[in-house]
Amino acid sequence: MNECGSIAARPGRPDRGERIACLMKAARDGDDDALGQIVPELSPVLWHVARAAGLSSGDAEDVLQTVWASLVAHLGGIRDPAALTSWLVVTTRREAWRVREAGRRQLPADDEWLTTVPDPGPGSEDLVIRDEQRQALWAAVRQLSPRCQELIRIVAFIPRPDYQAVAAELGMPTGSIGPTRGRCLAKLRALLAN
Amino acid sequence: MMSSDPASHEPMDDLDWEILDGVRELFGGADPMPADLPERIRFSLAMRDLEAEVARLVEAEQQHMAGARGAERSRTITFDSDSLTIMIRIDANSDGTVRIDGWLAPAQRREIEMQAITDTLRVSSDDQGRFAFPSVPAGTVRLVILAVEHGRDGAGRSVVTPALVL
Repeated sequence: MNECGSIAARPGRPDRGERIACLMKAARDGDDDALGQIVPELSPVLWHVARAAGLSSGDAEDVLQTVWASLVAHLGGIRDPAALTSWLVVTTRREAWRVREAGRRQLPADDEWLTTVPDPGPGSEDLVIRDEQRQALWAAVRQLSPRCQELIRIVAFIPRPDYQAVAAELGMPTGSIGPTRGRCLAKLRALLAN
Repeated sequence: MMSSDPASHEPMDDLDWEILDGVRELFGGADPMPADLPERIRFSLAMRDLEAEVARLVEAEQQHMAGARGAERSRTITFDSDSLTIMIRIDANSDGTVRIDGWLAPAQRREIEMQAITDTLRVSSDDQGRFAFPSVPAGTVRLVILAVEHGRDGAGRSVVTPALVL
C-alpha cells in the first residue's frame, strides 16, 4: 500500500500531478499496485491512440496490456507525470503501428482505413448526435486530413496539464509560454467558423 | 508555408479547449474504452510473473444450450502457449458462482491455480489433463499452470492466462 490515495482525497487542490508523481515513486520503490492505480487515469487516452491508428478493439486491448506491462521496465527513466503520459502515448502509437503493419496484408489495399474516423460499429445508431453543434463538429472533424483526425482525437484525451509536453512529442509546435493551436486545430476551428 | 497559416502559431484559447472537449465527447461516445479494461490491466500488472509463459487467448465462444431447465449459457475458451494448450468451459452455477472444467494438451498431471485478487484455489489435473473447479466466485481471475520442478526440454515452466472476467 502507499499513501498516494490520501493526496487525492483532499478536495480543492490541483493534486492530480502530485498524486501521479507519488504513485510513480511508489512503483519505482517496488509497490506492486501503484502502477495499477495510474491505469484507470491514463488508459482512455491510450485506447483512443490505438483506435485512431486503425486497430480493432481486440488488438487495441492487447496493445494497451503490452504497453502497461512494458512500462514497468522503463519507469526509472521517466521523470514526471507529463513525461509519463508522453511515454505511454508515444509507445502505444508505435506499438499500434507495429500491430497494424503486421496485419496489413489481410486488410484493404487503400490507406483510407488507416486513419479515418473509425466506424463506431454496432451500437453507433445509439450515438444520437442531438444538437446541431455536435453534428457540425463531427462534420468538421471528418473534413480534416486523416493525419489531423488522428492527432485531434489523441490530443482531445490528453489530461490538460500534460497537453504541452505530449503535443510537442507528437510533433505539434508549442510556443514559449504554452501550447499553440497547431495546424490541425487551426484547421478544425476554421471549418467550424464557416 | 508557415506564414500562410498564422492562426496555428497562436496560443490556445478557451474556444480551442472547448472544441477539444467536444471532440473528446464525440469519440468517447462513439467508441468508448471498454469499461472493465483498466481493471483487467491492473489485475495483470498486479499478478505479473516474469518467469512464466504467457498463454494467448485463441478462441472464445458462447453457446446457448436448451436444457431441461431452459436455456443455459456456457462459454468455451482456448488459450495457447509454447508448451501447452488450455481449454476451459465456464458454466454458471445456480448460486451465482461458476463451474470451470478444463483440459490441458498435451495431457499431463499439473498443479493448477485459479488466482483472484483476494484468494487462490488450487486443483490438480489427472492423467488425461482434465481438471475442474466446481465453484469459483464471480470476478476477475486468471489461471496459472504451476511449474514442474524438473521439466524436460524446456517444458514444465509455469503458464499464465490473461485475466478473465467470470
